[in-house]
Amino acid sequence: MIPLENFLVLSGLLFAVGLFGVLSRRSAILILMSVELMLAAVAINFIAFASYRDVEAFSGLVFALFVITVAAAEVGLALGIVLRLFRERRTANVDEASSLKW
Amino acid sequence: MFNRLPLPSQFDRTIISGGTVLAIGAAPVLVVLAALLVADRVTAPEFIFYLAATTLLASALGVVLMKNIVHAALCLVVTLLGVAAIYLLLLTEFLALVQVLVYGGGVVILLLFGLMMTNAQDDPVVTDGSQKPFAFGVAALLAGVFVAMAVDAQWGSPEASVVPFRDFGARLFRDFSLPVIIVAVLLDIAFTGAFVNARRAEAEGAGRGETRP
Repeated sequence: MIPLENFLVLSGLLFAVGLFGVLSRRSAILILMSVELMLAAVAINFIAFASYRDVEAFSGLVFALFVITVAAAEVGLALGIVLRLFRERRTANVDEASSLKW
Repeated sequence: MFNRLPLPSQFDRTIISGGTVLAIGAAPVLVVLAALLVADRVTAPEFIFYLAATTLLASALGVVLMKNIVHAALCLVVTLLGVAAIYLLLLTEFLALVQVLVYGGGVVILLLFGLMMTNAQDDPVVTDGSQKPFAFGVAALLAGVFVAMAVDAQWGSPEASVVPFRDFGARLFRDFSLPVIIVAVLLDIAFTGAFVNARRAEAEGAGRGETRP
């Protein structure tokens, strides 16, 4: 059997990679992709604990399912906002959309 | 024979060169793992785990490091399919199927659509901000903390157990019915909001007599 630690290390590394992407990228779409990586890492963690330690309660699996659902909703909503930003400003870079009002 | 084929487009060349790089990178890992498998140092599930984990982390690095945005999106597909493989190794087939359907099908197409819509200019764009060293420091620190904690903690030696489809569905809609309804309402609100947000811009532009770019 694969020990539980392997999955936890994998999810930690994936989360760190996603965080690096969120902090270093400029394009809003690429930031969204990195957020997807972080959410996938969290879901791996949930499912690892669910299937190794919490088989009766199911809560880890249900939370992982909700993470996937909320991530899909987030991508849809954020893409609407990015498209709108691009139409009004001709840019999709987050550092060029820094003013609160104009 | 190759003369009869149509000229490879930029996209085809991207796929071919990406596949070559992936093969060159993956071959040593595969050889080492196969040697360990033959020598009985790792079991078959561990072999698949290390293969999937290596692919997943390498393509995740591709997502955050690639200069070309479309290449990053293609790397994201590989990463998310690797995550589905990890779910299968965790004995949760249903979530692996959901992952392939929702991410491999829906989310990636949506992201690519967003890329096409917002990446109008032809000149190469600078995709990384000036805070890259800072970002690397924070990510490396966090990775160190996570790995140290996961290795240090005493988990005992629990065994993974299979969750049957039927039980999962029954428990989901019986014991977690309220959260399911709340998530459904959340999805509804989010997509209505996305629709209204993208729609209103057009209506305002038409009202002011502007021509949309």
